[in-house]
Amino acid sequence: SQQSHRLHRSPYSLQAVGLQRLSSASTQEKATVSSGSDEITLHLTESCVKRLGEIMEKGEYLRIHVEGGGCSGFQYKFSVDSNKNEDDRVFEKGGVGVIVDQDSLEFVKGATVDFSQELIRSTFQVLKNPQADHGCSCGSSFSVKL
Amino acid sequence: VSKRKILPTRAALTLTPAAVNEIRLLLRDKPEYIGLKVGVRTRGCNGLTYTLEYTKEKDKSDEEVLQDGVRVFIEKKAQLTLLGTEMDFVESKLSSEFVFNNPNIKGTCGCGESFNM
Repeated sequence: SQQSHRLHRSPYSLQAVGLQRLSSASTQEKATVSSGSDEITLHLTESCVKRLGEIMEKGEYLRIHVEGGGCSGFQYKFSVDSNKNEDDRVFEKGGVGVIVDQDSLEFVKGATVDFSQELIRSTFQVLKNPQADHGCSCGSSFSVKL
Repeated sequence: VSKRKILPTRAALTLTPAAVNEIRLLLRDKPEYIGLKVGVRTRGCNGLTYTLEYTKEKDKSDEEVLQDGVRVFIEKKAQLTLLGTEMDFVESKLSSEFVFNNPNIKGTCGCGESFNM
């Protein structure tokens, strides 16, 4: 609806409360998302699925966590986790899974998780994040679109 | 007979055993390459970032570092920047990367990829 759309895009909810939301997502914001028309997705690239298949034991997931920090305000953290919490969303593909907690999901929904392999470094990355405005060239830090 | 300048003996770049090992692995099945080339490029939030690529030949202006049987070449532009730097290879379950411990730099980005001098 028009109203929920505006609420979602309001600078207040995204910018001023941004950092605070990481620890305590406002219920209003959550409601907007759960009742919103856009389905929450997270895309996993082939190389991401393949790499996770290689390194993860059974019951282990890749956890993506967004926290304040980095040169652009927010940064992605990757870890291996075998515990699913109540507010976690699991995105599964090809037998592997990626876990994102509800608060972090607000910042990465619709994005693509990739395993990039270069000579200088091989690492997991969040790409094409619709929530991110511009980031650091390293891709680990980003600022939020207003 | 040309007068040769005496070159400093201090290596421009030192490699940790982990880095030597990884470079050896990388080059093992690639006989067409003689080593890796390190450079710096203007990029990133903090001004400069390192580049790394395979190289087939030594460029005239490259500085060659030979350590434990592996060869790393330093681009002319990067020679001053990298002087005294230690090149390491860090591996974890989720990522693996070459890390440059550079005594010359003044600041880095949170991600560790970008730096300034």
